[in-house]
Amino acid sequence: MAEVGEVTEGCRLPVLRRNQDNEDEWPLAEILSVKDISGRKLFYVHYIDFNKRLDEWVTHDRLDLKKIQFPKKEAKTPTKNGLPGSRPSSPEREVRKTLDLSLQPASTPASGKTLPIPVQITLRFNLPKEREAVPGEPDQPLSSSSCVQPNHRTTKRKVEVVSPATPVPASTETTQASVFPQNGSARRAVAAQPGRKRKSNCLGTDEDSQDSSDGIPSAPRMTGSLVSDRSHDDIITRMKNIECIELGRHRLKPWYFSPYPQELTTLPVLYLCEFCLKYVKSLKCLQRHLTKCDLRHPPGNEIYRKGTISFFEIDGRKNKSYSQNLCLLAKCFLDHKTLYYDTDPFLFYVMTEYDCKGFHIVGYFSKEKESTEDYNVACILTLPPYQRRGYGKLLIEFSYELSKVEGKTGTPEKPLSDLGLLSYRSYWSQTILEILMNLKSENGERPQITINEISEITSIKKEDVISTLQYLNLINYYKGQYILTLSEDIVDGHERAMLKRILRIDSKCLHFTPKDWSKRGKW
Amino acid sequence: MSKLSFRARALDAAKPLPIYRGKDMPDLNDCVSINRAVPQMPTGMEKEEESEHHLQRAISAQQVFREKKESMVIPVPEAESNVNYYNRLYKGEFKQPKQFIHIQPFNLDNEQPDYDMDSEDETLLNRLNRKMEIKPLQFEIMIDRLEKASSNQLVTLQEAKLLLNEDDYLIKAVYDYWVRKRKNCRGPSLIPQIKQEKRDGSTNNDPYVAFRRRTEKMQTRKNRKNDEASYEKMLKLRREFSRAITILEMIKRREKTKRELLHLTLEVVEKRYHLGDYGGEILNEVKLNRPDKEMSTTPATLHNGNHHKIQECKVKHPHHPSLKEDVSDVVRQKKKYPKKPKIESVITPQQPTTEPLPVISKSDIKQYDFHSSDEDEFPQVPSPVSEPEEENDPDGPCAFRRRAGCQYYAPRLDQTNYSCENSELAELDKLRYRHCLTTLTVPRRCIGFARRRIGRGGRVIMDRISTEHDPVLKQIDPEMLNSFSSSSQTVDFSSNFSRTNASNKHCENRLSLSEILSNIRSCRLQCFQPRLLNLQDSDSEECTSRKPGQTVNNKRVSAASVALLNTSKNGISVTGGITEEQFQTHQQQLVQMQRQQLAQLQQKQQSQHSSQQTHPKAQGSSTSDCMSKTLDSASAHFAASAVVSAPAPSRSEVTKEQNTSHNNINGVVQPSGTSKTLYSTNMALSSSPGISAVQLVRTVGHSTTNHLIPALCTSSPQTLPMNNSCLTNAVHLNNVSVVSPVNVHINARTSAPSPTALKLATVAASMDRVPKVTPSSAISSIARENHEPERLGLNGIAETTVAMEVT
Repeated sequence: MAEVGEVTEGCRLPVLRRNQDNEDEWPLAEILSVKDISGRKLFYVHYIDFNKRLDEWVTHDRLDLKKIQFPKKEAKTPTKNGLPGSRPSSPEREVRKTLDLSLQPASTPASGKTLPIPVQITLRFNLPKEREAVPGEPDQPLSSSSCVQPNHRTTKRKVEVVSPATPVPASTETTQASVFPQNGSARRAVAAQPGRKRKSNCLGTDEDSQDSSDGIPSAPRMTGSLVSDRSHDDIITRMKNIECIELGRHRLKPWYFSPYPQELTTLPVLYLCEFCLKYVKSLKCLQRHLTKCDLRHPPGNEIYRKGTISFFEIDGRKNKSYSQNLCLLAKCFLDHKTLYYDTDPFLFYVMTEYDCKGFHIVGYFSKEKESTEDYNVACILTLPPYQRRGYGKLLIEFSYELSKVEGKTGTPEKPLSDLGLLSYRSYWSQTILEILMNLKSENGERPQITINEISEITSIKKEDVISTLQYLNLINYYKGQYILTLSEDIVDGHERAMLKRILRIDSKCLHFTPKDWSKRGKW
Repeated sequence: MSKLSFRARALDAAKPLPIYRGKDMPDLNDCVSINRAVPQMPTGMEKEEESEHHLQRAISAQQVFREKKESMVIPVPEAESNVNYYNRLYKGEFKQPKQFIHIQPFNLDNEQPDYDMDSEDETLLNRLNRKMEIKPLQFEIMIDRLEKASSNQLVTLQEAKLLLNEDDYLIKAVYDYWVRKRKNCRGPSLIPQIKQEKRDGSTNNDPYVAFRRRTEKMQTRKNRKNDEASYEKMLKLRREFSRAITILEMIKRREKTKRELLHLTLEVVEKRYHLGDYGGEILNEVKLNRPDKEMSTTPATLHNGNHHKIQECKVKHPHHPSLKEDVSDVVRQKKKYPKKPKIESVITPQQPTTEPLPVISKSDIKQYDFHSSDEDEFPQVPSPVSEPEEENDPDGPCAFRRRAGCQYYAPRLDQTNYSCENSELAELDKLRYRHCLTTLTVPRRCIGFARRRIGRGGRVIMDRISTEHDPVLKQIDPEMLNSFSSSSQTVDFSSNFSRTNASNKHCENRLSLSEILSNIRSCRLQCFQPRLLNLQDSDSEECTSRKPGQTVNNKRVSAASVALLNTSKNGISVTGGITEEQFQTHQQQLVQMQRQQLAQLQQKQQSQHSSQQTHPKAQGSSTSDCMSKTLDSASAHFAASAVVSAPAPSRSEVTKEQNTSHNNINGVVQPSGTSKTLYSTNMALSSSPGISAVQLVRTVGHSTTNHLIPALCTSSPQTLPMNNSCLTNAVHLNNVSVVSPVNVHINARTSAPSPTALKLATVAASMDRVPKVTPSSAISSIARENHEPERLGLNGIAETTVAMEVT
């Protein structure tokens, strides 16, 4: 039994948490930070295998000090006791985890649940050679697991980061373990695998956009809105810094770090103007601001209106202040969004709901003016008060409507968040199923359709069509050819889902002319 | 049939997929696993998040139930929508317009202050409102301005008062409050702002820094060899190739021109032969007539052969109407080429006079069709042929070498075009002669002959020239001048410095003060005096009215060579340190100066110099030299480059100038011009230019230049050869008396020619290829024929540096 005073950053222990069903759980959590407020210690905990958005400050009485695991200074033995996870969808889950938390000596062993004694990784920059020699990871495809990049996790989805079980060449690289090491070791790591196939997973769309091997040392890629490079994922950005945001009628609890001015992060509530999204420190300031701010809608052109739903288009270059404010707000709810660079190359499509007070922001998505990788969405967010009410799907549908007008297929920028994945999968499934089920058989023949046709009709990128068909298990190989099978199960489920989907985009209400940004100079 | 016996084909997105529904559906057991043929698509999520508990639960729930169950949703932190004061906060209603909302981004920036008052401010405001009325908005504007005017350093109260248009008490109160509040503020500003990136890169990893500017990165394909570096290399290569093309084109053009010139020369000789002009009389006649006509046109166009078409059309040639001019050119050219006479190397550092120097650009080339090999002096075009020359350059290390990046300017043809026969020579020489009697306002005294330049940062730099009259000139009192100009001519000044021993000589080198003053009075000698009110006013202060007789152009040599030596002393190469832009800037400044001078001049002439004054104070010359000491390295650079790049006047010009000087000495000093006497003088002089040229070149080599003022001596034309020797003596005298350290530096080198000086000489030598083809210089070249021996002797110094002297 440890004392409360001994609980430091990096410790792991079960922490009391109440789940949605109001039941108490004791998931394993990691202490990310400790603070002392008037003699009371507060611990910032990250529940392992839970999304960061659930991280929170807890008092000591929620800690199960009996089961505390202290961070070890050095990981001496590459004991990998953990068994491969039982979850079918992520066979590699045991080997993943967070090299980037360089601030924390023992921040990371990933699959805490399965590890009775977590092993600390002090060594974050081990070379791939050593990595490859690691026994005990039989199910780790070498091609996708071995590249260790201390600050370039740009190859993230294809290339796993070092496993906790990695043997530790303690002498060599540990000294470099600064928060932001130079990428020298990363370069070597890449170079050490000449034969490595970059595209080990087919149809990956996102990897090539990032220059992991020859890119800039520390800045994220310049295209897109989402970081796939987590080199900046230090302890500061791992923790929420804003306690509460008041926006119009709503009080939002941020999910993630957002780089609002640092002096505002200590406030109990950060006040935002509902329409221009300006941040002020107090209600009084907001009152004063509202006497000067006459906006009642997002400061852009309305390009869609049906009922109370409107979409406004905002140019990130022309309206910097709003775009930045919007990004700051969005960052509170988007983990992988990066605000590293300016907003110039983006358009922001803000969805609003009108009432007598004005056009209230519901959600938005941003979109690169020119995407080299068929992205039609960079970041997409439904504000928490409006979530789970169909607005997310409406946003997605709108983004594909725009792509249809442009005559392109598109796909959201990666990585997707968990909610993003669910929403997109749901949208894709419903959209594709809608098409498939509406296909009529011609002259007695079985209806048929190509993947390309689906893609063209929906503007959903081909790869997403395939993955959806796979995910829904619709695609089968039968008698020497691929067929699509629509089971009763699927059909019923789809029909039930479509009953609930009331909000739809009406393409007739869209007044949108795409611009050719490539001819306009730089954004 | 074993379903494992074959392998599924790859999924073809273009191939129709039949859809099986309901009862039609085959037993899935009959279906083959497609895992190998259709690889699992990535979800697009971060791997470690993909395995998160809630997501996995939600996914499996969906797969089981085909729809989300309430309990299986991914939990998120709560959000409340119960702000009860909302309606009070957001007052009023907004009616939805019928039309789509369209907004002009420019209208967004209203002038409202970014600062929002907080409750603390409100307290202050309430307190202040007891004494005076201040509205919240007013207060916010004040704070906003203070904030935006301050960076790390707060604005001072004084600045605040300037910034804020309020009454002082209010400003003080708000300012004090603001300073206090700002000190307690934890943020960098009272207006919360997103942290900005710093240029040093220290904020690259600061998580609070957002919205960094994107550095434009070249779009190159990844994983290809054409990365950014090689792309830049290719760009560079392309630039250099295109530059080479330009050079080659210019060379081509030059050679064509040369050929033309050769043909013309041939033609001229033939014509002369037909006319029987074996002694060059007709040619001389032509020369003599020509400048008169030229006077009707502006000097600027003189070098442009086209306008001669109107003037003289004795020999018609479709391409070269001004054949007369060409005749002389060609003749001279022809004689020169075989011998490569390079002695006309007296550098008259070209102080731009009335006009901008013609910077030869590609577009100007047509204008210069008559210049043959001079075209390799194009700015920015390093002469490709200068290398081989240097190899057999007898001057060895002292030889002039063209430098890459240095602009070599075209000759000032308008200068060389003026021959001394010109009846209105005085008019023109005024523009040419650089130095004039100058007085300063503070200290109020005459500093002798000087020339004004604008230096770096707008500084006015006086290049002084020492003359043997300095002691006398120091006596000149501006008041004296004032009274003088107003008084009658009979006023007699007893001079403290009367003539020094000149009696033994054929000429007198010095004038008495009274003589000078009388010269000034009679407008023969002009005196520049800055306006008393603003010394710095460059527009108005310069009133340089120059008289040909009183100042000698040669003095330019000294000034420029001073600069030259100065730079070489500093270890800076003469020309290489000057970038094109710098030079252009200087050039422009000078041009501007010239224009001002010209304007002033004309103005002065009209007003008959009634306002001119000279300063009486005769101070030690050591203090007065401070002006010339301000010659900083930049201007020194410039001066040096001016030497190098200015079109060197030919020896003929120099001799002409001397001639004019002497003419003026001889008392032909009417402001209206020297009229015909000049002609005779010139004729007389035509026997001597060789000598003077010799001397000049030598003096350049010895750094003792001929920058004395022979102008004031009273010798007759006949005594000129002797006069020259006198002048040389005077030079030595002068140099001793010069106080400026730079000049001393020159003197130190008089005994042994310095390499720089030699270089200078060769520079001049190479430069004079330009005047060779100019019509007026050709005149003197004819005269020079008589003096070939001397010239040849001189050529040892200067002969060799002609680049591509192709005939």
